[in-house]
Amino acid sequence: MQKLIQVLWPSFLVAAVVEAVFFTVIDPQALYLLGEPVHYDPLTTYSIGFLAFWLICAASSLTTLYFQRTADEINHPEAH
Amino acid sequence: MNSTAPNPSPKAPPPPEGDTLYAVRQKVYVRAVTGLFANWRWALVWFTQIVFYGLPWLQWNDRQAVLFHLTERKFYIFGWVFWPQDVFFLAILLIISAYALFFFTAIAGRLWCGYACPQTVYTEIFMWIEEKIEGDRNKRMKLDKAPMSPRKLGIKAAKYGAWGAVALWTGFTFVGYFSPMSELLASVATLGFGPWEMFWILFYGAFTYLFAGVMREQVCKYMCPYARFQAVMFDPDTLVITYDEGRGEPRGARRKGVDSATAGKGDCVDCGICVQVCPTGIDIRNGLQYECIGCAACIDACDQVMDKVGYPRGLIRYSTENAIKRGWGTKEIIGHVFRPRTLVYGTVLIAICVAFVWGLATRDPLRVDIIRDRASLGREVAGGMIENVYRLQVMNMTEVPRNFVFDVKGINGIQIAGDHRVAVEAAATQAVTLQVLVPYDAGKPGANEIVFEIHPEDDPSLKLFEKTTFLFPR
Ligand code: SF4
Ligand code: SF4
Repeated sequence: MQKLIQVLWPSFLVAAVVEAVFFTVIDPQALYLLGEPVHYDPLTTYSIGFLAFWLICAASSLTTLYFQRTADEINHPEAH
Repeated sequence: MNSTAPNPSPKAPPPPEGDTLYAVRQKVYVRAVTGLFANWRWALVWFTQIVFYGLPWLQWNDRQAVLFHLTERKFYIFGWVFWPQDVFFLAILLIISAYALFFFTAIAGRLWCGYACPQTVYTEIFMWIEEKIEGDRNKRMKLDKAPMSPRKLGIKAAKYGAWGAVALWTGFTFVGYFSPMSELLASVATLGFGPWEMFWILFYGAFTYLFAGVMREQVCKYMCPYARFQAVMFDPDTLVITYDEGRGEPRGARRKGVDSATAGKGDCVDCGICVQVCPTGIDIRNGLQYECIGCAACIDACDQVMDKVGYPRGLIRYSTENAIKRGWGTKEIIGHVFRPRTLVYGTVLIAICVAFVWGLATRDPLRVDIIRDRASLGREVAGGMIENVYRLQVMNMTEVPRNFVFDVKGINGIQIAGDHRVAVEAAATQAVTLQVLVPYDAGKPGANEIVFEIHPEDDPSLKLFEKTTFLFPR
């Protein structure tokens, strides 16, 4: 649980900032998806955008956690 | 645990790390408190929530007064309409908020946390509901210890239900800031919200429920970025909630009516009430701690205890490190409010606010973007003229439909072919295509600078100039 929040919360904060900056600068109607202009309504694009940013940031947090394990934790996983 | 047992004191050895939310947490049973600062807190709960829940319902110019219309990419705030091009104002607003936070923190600590932060406000509302349904602190602790029974189930269900209702309403209001309230309202009866509107109502509602009902002080302790760095804005002259150790120690119980000197003790009767009322479950008598959100609940609580035992109030009070060390009174404390740090924060804050207001007041009610039509660079047309085609995006920032008139200057004999005018709806963008003609011998081959001049038909004094280039064939 603790690990889960450590992954999800910082990524949520960063995703919120990225979402605001990204969509202030870029009009969702001006985006292209796989070579086709995006035809979703803007609310959908914003929402998917946010969830995608969150996912990406969470992946980064997860990687941090993964590399943070000490040698001891890797050598003796059953003790932790 | 008897009724006066304090919440776990931070002096106790830290509990081992476990598999719960952040740290192993002993549930904090907060005792309700009344008094001067509690009244301030409630005043701010009312104020912020009337604004938050009320604003999306307000009308202005036949539209929602405050609406961050994501689909249109326009922010409506009373008489103003902001476009993505106005991001500058948003940036300044953020800087102002940051400086205001620095300023108030330097003067009086975590005022924001204690009184105005949504986390505090919603926790306050959720705790009030809890108190109304489950009863006071003792009853709540007893209820939680009791085995499950129909009665317990009923009480708990009522509480969770009430919390859920507030949370849902909060989520609905939140979405009402981004999607027009009138459309949302029309969908309520049938629950026919768009899928993403539904998603965000539930998402924000769930966050409210989780933060204010379940996690509470843990949000402040482990999740809040501000709580982590606020201490750098503190200095020895910052007003913080302080326990007057010199006056209170040695603490200890005594019989009623005995004064401290006779009992050979300090003024603290060690009743533990200040700990019970603390929403973060700390003991302020251990000194300033980063967990303390500055809510002043312990001041109210201790003042009541002091009244009861007949000692002067203020054993716990707003004071500064210097004041406690040097025995300053109110006058010296106020005298030290103005010091280099607060003066710098204050000056910067005022300067940015002035810049913001000035920028807003002088904002152009009209904006034009010019895009050259690349397909037809400098074409020769009949009558020995060279033609360039321009596409203009005309933005009418006002809330009335307007006609705009174009003119062009910069080369002898330059003129616009056809209509010189365009009508633009209120707060809308209109694309216009303009053909500009110049006699073939009036300019040099290549780029020649020209200027478009645009003004509203009803106000010729308001002129906008846009530079661009006119191309002659080589
Ligand atoms: S409320 Fe006041 S008297 Fe009671 S324990 Fe706290 S500081 Fe001491
Ligand atoms: S120590 Fe006092 S001011 Fe600080 S959080 Fe607890 S009750 Fe509020």
